[in-house]
Amino acid sequence: MKGTVSAVFAAVLIAVGMGAQAWAHHSFAAEYDMKHPIEVHGVIVQVRLENPHSWFVVDVKNSTTGNVDRWSFEAGTPSGMLRNGYRPGVIKAGDEVTIKGFQSKDSDVRGMLRELVTADGHVYGLFGPQENR
Amino acid sequence: MTIMKHSMMTAAVAGTLVWSSAGAFPLAAQQASTEKAAAAPIPRMADGHPDLSGVWWRGGDIGGRGFGGAPRGTPGAAAPQRPTTFSDLYQPWALAHSKVLADKHDPTVHCMPTAFGTLNVSLFDVGAVGQIIQTPKFVVMLTETFHGFQIIPFDGRPHRDDVPPSYRGDAVGRWDGDTFVVDKTNFTGDTWISAEGRVSFHSDALHTVERYRRLDAKTLEIEATLEDPKVLTKPWVVPKQTLQLAPFDQIYQLACSDDDIQSFKDATPPAISGKN
Repeated sequence: MKGTVSAVFAAVLIAVGMGAQAWAHHSFAAEYDMKHPIEVHGVIVQVRLENPHSWFVVDVKNSTTGNVDRWSFEAGTPSGMLRNGYRPGVIKAGDEVTIKGFQSKDSDVRGMLRELVTADGHVYGLFGPQENR
Repeated sequence: MTIMKHSMMTAAVAGTLVWSSAGAFPLAAQQASTEKAAAAPIPRMADGHPDLSGVWWRGGDIGGRGFGGAPRGTPGAAAPQRPTTFSDLYQPWALAHSKVLADKHDPTVHCMPTAFGTLNVSLFDVGAVGQIIQTPKFVVMLTETFHGFQIIPFDGRPHRDDVPPSYRGDAVGRWDGDTFVVDKTNFTGDTWISAEGRVSFHSDALHTVERYRRLDAKTLEIEATLEDPKVLTKPWVVPKQTLQLAPFDQIYQLACSDDDIQSFKDATPPAISGKN
C-alpha cells in the first residue's frame, strides 16, 4: 500500500460562527471520508505528539472477526493541542477510550479523530480538551 | 483537490471544530496583560531601533480561543473579495503544471518547510506562532513546526555568495526608519510558498521583501512582496498581516517524523518509542 496511499494529512481550520473565513491547511477531505463517520472503543497503545499532526493508536476488538485491530487516529497539530490545554501523558497507553471520527479512504483501521472520550468522561477534540470550551 | 472538496469538507466538519472556546490561558489575566502591554511604549534596543523580540501570533493557536480569522463582515453585506494568492498569478505553463499537483505533493507533508509561510506570515512557516529574538547585529526568526530559523544580519552586509540555495533563502535586513526590511533570495525550488491546501510551488528565482513594523508594544504589522519571474506574471503583494504579542515567551520544540507519517498511512504503526 505504501506509495499508493495519499500522503495528505492535516487540519481544516474553521472559525465557526465568527463570520471568519475557513482556512484549509491541507485537506482532511483528500484523506478521510467525511460522509463515513466511525466510532470505536478500545485501549490506547500509543500517543504521539508530533508534527505536523498528532496520532492516537488504539487497539480495538473487532466484533465481527474477534481479532484485535490496531487503529491509528490523526489529530491536530501538537502545538495547538498543547496551547489549548492538552498535557503530555494525560492520555497514555492502557487507557480505555471511545473515539469518534471519520474513516480513512485508504485504510480500514485509520481515521481522523473528531472526539475522544476517556473512561472517566473527559472529552478531547481534534485540538485538545473540550472542557470549558 | 477541488474547491468542491474543500467546501464539502468544510461543511462536514464545521460542527466539530469550534474556535470560539477557551484556550490554555485565563481570559481575564490575558486581557489584563495585553492591555498593560498595549499601554507600554514600543520597546527599543540600545541603538534606538525598535526591538521586535517576542512570540507573535494571531491571538491564539490553531484550534484555540482567539485564533485570528479574517475580519468579520457586516451582516447583509456582500462577501469580501478573496485576496489574491501566489498561485493566482501563475504564468500559463505554471498554471497548467499546478493542475497536475495536489495536496499530497506538498513538501511540508514530508517535514520540509515552506519558502514563505502559512497564513501569509513568513514568521510562521507552517503553523500559527513564531518567535523573534533581536540582538544588536541580528534579528533571528524562529519557527515552531519544523524547528526553522532565519538569521537576518542588519549591519549592511550583502547577500552571501558562498552558500548554497536553501529552503528559506538567504536573508539580509536593514532599517527603514522604524520598519525592519528583510530581503531574501537564493532559494531552492524544492518547496512551496505555503501549506494551506493550495498548490503553491515556486522556482529558484523567488525573491521576497518583507517589512516588519511594531505598531505598539503588543502589535506587529507585516507587509511583503514576492516576485518569481520564472513562474509569476507579476509580483505578488501579500495581504498586510497584523500579529499580536503572545502571552508566553518561548515556542515549542516538537518532532516531525516523515517515517512515522508513512507508517501510519500504511497502517503499521512504528514501534513504541516512549513518546507521548
